[in-house]
Amino acid sequence: MIEMADLISADRVLVGLRAASKRQLLQELAEDAAAACGLDASTVLDALIQREKLGTTAVGDGIAIPHAKVPGLPKLVGFFARLARPIDFDALDDKPVDLIFLLLAPEGGSAEHLKALARIARILRDPAMCARLRHAPNADRAYAVLTGQPESHAA
Amino acid sequence: MAAINVLTALVLIGAALLVLGVLSSLIATRFGAPLLLVFLVIGMLAGEDGPGGIVFNDFRAAYLIGSVALAVILFDGGLRTRLTAFRGVLAPSLLLATVGVALTAGFTALAAIWLLNLGPWNALLLGAIIAPTDAAAVFVLLRSGGLQLRRRAGATLEIESSTNDPAAVFLTVAIVVVLEAGQAGAWETLLLTLLQQAGIGGFLGVVGGLLICVTVNRLDLAEGLHPLLVVAAAVVLYALATLAGGSGYVAAFIAGLIVGNRPIRAYASIVSFHGAATWLCQIVMFLILGLLATPSRLVTVALPAVALALFVILVARPAAVWLCLAPFGYDRRELAFIGWVGLRGAVSIFLATVPLLAGLPGARTYFDIAFFVVLVSLLVQGWTVGAAAHRLKQSLPRTTRPVHRVELDLPGQLAQELVGYHVLSDSPLLRNGRLPSWTRAVMVIRDETIMTPEQAGPLRVDDYVYLLAPPERAYRLDRLFAADEPGGESPPGEFAIAGSTPLGALADLYDVVIDPGDRERTVAELFADRFDGEPQIGDRLPFGEASLVARVVDDDGVARAGLQLEDLTGSIVAASLFRSRLGRALLRVVRRLRGRLSGAAPRALA
Repeated sequence: MIEMADLISADRVLVGLRAASKRQLLQELAEDAAAACGLDASTVLDALIQREKLGTTAVGDGIAIPHAKVPGLPKLVGFFARLARPIDFDALDDKPVDLIFLLLAPEGGSAEHLKALARIARILRDPAMCARLRHAPNADRAYAVLTGQPESHAA
Repeated sequence: MAAINVLTALVLIGAALLVLGVLSSLIATRFGAPLLLVFLVIGMLAGEDGPGGIVFNDFRAAYLIGSVALAVILFDGGLRTRLTAFRGVLAPSLLLATVGVALTAGFTALAAIWLLNLGPWNALLLGAIIAPTDAAAVFVLLRSGGLQLRRRAGATLEIESSTNDPAAVFLTVAIVVVLEAGQAGAWETLLLTLLQQAGIGGFLGVVGGLLICVTVNRLDLAEGLHPLLVVAAAVVLYALATLAGGSGYVAAFIAGLIVGNRPIRAYASIVSFHGAATWLCQIVMFLILGLLATPSRLVTVALPAVALALFVILVARPAAVWLCLAPFGYDRRELAFIGWVGLRGAVSIFLATVPLLAGLPGARTYFDIAFFVVLVSLLVQGWTVGAAAHRLKQSLPRTTRPVHRVELDLPGQLAQELVGYHVLSDSPLLRNGRLPSWTRAVMVIRDETIMTPEQAGPLRVDDYVYLLAPPERAYRLDRLFAADEPGGESPPGEFAIAGSTPLGALADLYDVVIDPGDRERTVAELFADRFDGEPQIGDRLPFGEASLVARVVDDDGVARAGLQLEDLTGSIVAASLFRSRLGRALLRVVRRLRGRLSGAAPRALA
């Protein structure tokens, strides 16, 4: 089972990010991700935009999980961002998005990519989890919420 | 005069039973009881152990009536099977109707050997008797409950149940021949008999069907005689084929198939006449079989019979369904539902009279057991079909049906159907306001006045609109008038995928292994392929360990699908098995077979 802690680290959580549009948000995230992983920002952005062209990655209730495959990445890397002001992300339920989990996957991987996405989608489907993420005062707290208690550690 | 009075009394009893049978359909609808069970019970009540006290033990007469009735019912089954509309499910359904029947019979035989201490051939005979699902039972159940099934499960069941009777009949007859001939060379006898039955029956069915078409189209008969000619010809064909050493049932079914799938005059009246004739045959057959049974005798076989019935319901049928259909990409729910709706019916009881007529030892026991199994099946499965459909998500969400549907028989084989719909406040048509080019509005009824479409202008809520459409497309109109599109809402946690997305791109993105030939195709094409070009909202296809669900469907097919990851957290036994080597080998065999059957092989996602 892929755990949240394997996908994300404290320095890859952003709280209070500002973006005016979906495009600008993806660009911000692509630049951050590229800097953190030593990649080319425009490659990352292109891959993300290509994915959005197939259909939105907003999954409803203010959450989006943009994802893409990026050449040269050694392993799955996740980024979490909470927006200061929700933006339109072409969500099917028309709700603006403020919680974003970005997942980048290496080329030619195994089924890990899909499994990781399933894990993220499942965790973010919990309304209580989203409420805690929205109320987290800072990035450290949000990171703790994200990795703290997936139900497998509840006991 | 006394003799005449006795005969008249017989007429009275027979007709009264029939009236009672027809009226009891109301009870059945009210209480959701399987209609055929009601007929059977009425027959039993009228019989020797019931208040009716009619002693009827004439298996010859029962066989005679039953065989004619079955020939008519099977002809009707063929008549209603539109081959083109069922392209995608034809191969799996036929596999289930033939190999599936043999498998069910085989599994049942194993249980019968153990439960009833029968010899292998006798056990196989019992298995073959119990194996067929009853078309009538399945149709009545599926239609009377107002239950609308997802297309794939519904179509599979429909084709399977109407095509598996001939398979079971000639399996039974062949085994009886083997038992009569003695055990030496039994397999050769079985195989030869099967080939002979299917060959002669099939050949005469094709010839007879074509002859019926030509005759009806050429002859100018008085109105109302065409359908009668067709029914009579079907029974003649049945008898001829049987006398010629073939299977009369196969002949009747195939002839029906040909008549139903070729242009023929008066098709609408033939079908509606046949509808009534089939009902009559059903009722008579069930009443007679109910009369034939002796409930007091049944008690003696109750225990092993119930055990056998449960085995068939819970093990034999689901296993046969799984083996036949899983390689075609049916999902778990479809498999479970099709397995559950394997109702036994009149055919099994009727077949149980065959060993009696052949004078096989212990034949009466087969009859009693078969009767009991049918009763249990009708009770258990018949009563729970609706619940199973809902639980297994095979029933369609709220949809609309035309308020009227009239087939018009226009000169020059210009087949058109007149369909009427009630426009509801949330009919999708009101939103985009455009009718497809292949249909034409002929009138609108607004506030109890009849208007031409030109007078009426754009449609409004509460209008009734009547449209002309080719019969094979008419049902697509349902979608335009459906109250809403339930299931079109994407539940949270699902990614949107445009229908135009190439599968190759999707497979690369999510590391899903697909057939190389599928790479160039789009998501919409895959759905069209798997669901006969008519995908519905909520249709689901496996994609690696995730699934693709049709969310928005328009005239060109699936416009948007959802990639659902939810299933990933649960384990899918079937999926993992089919990724095993055995599964792959099986898949290859089936694909090749299917390719040969359908010409252009639709490819499956591994």
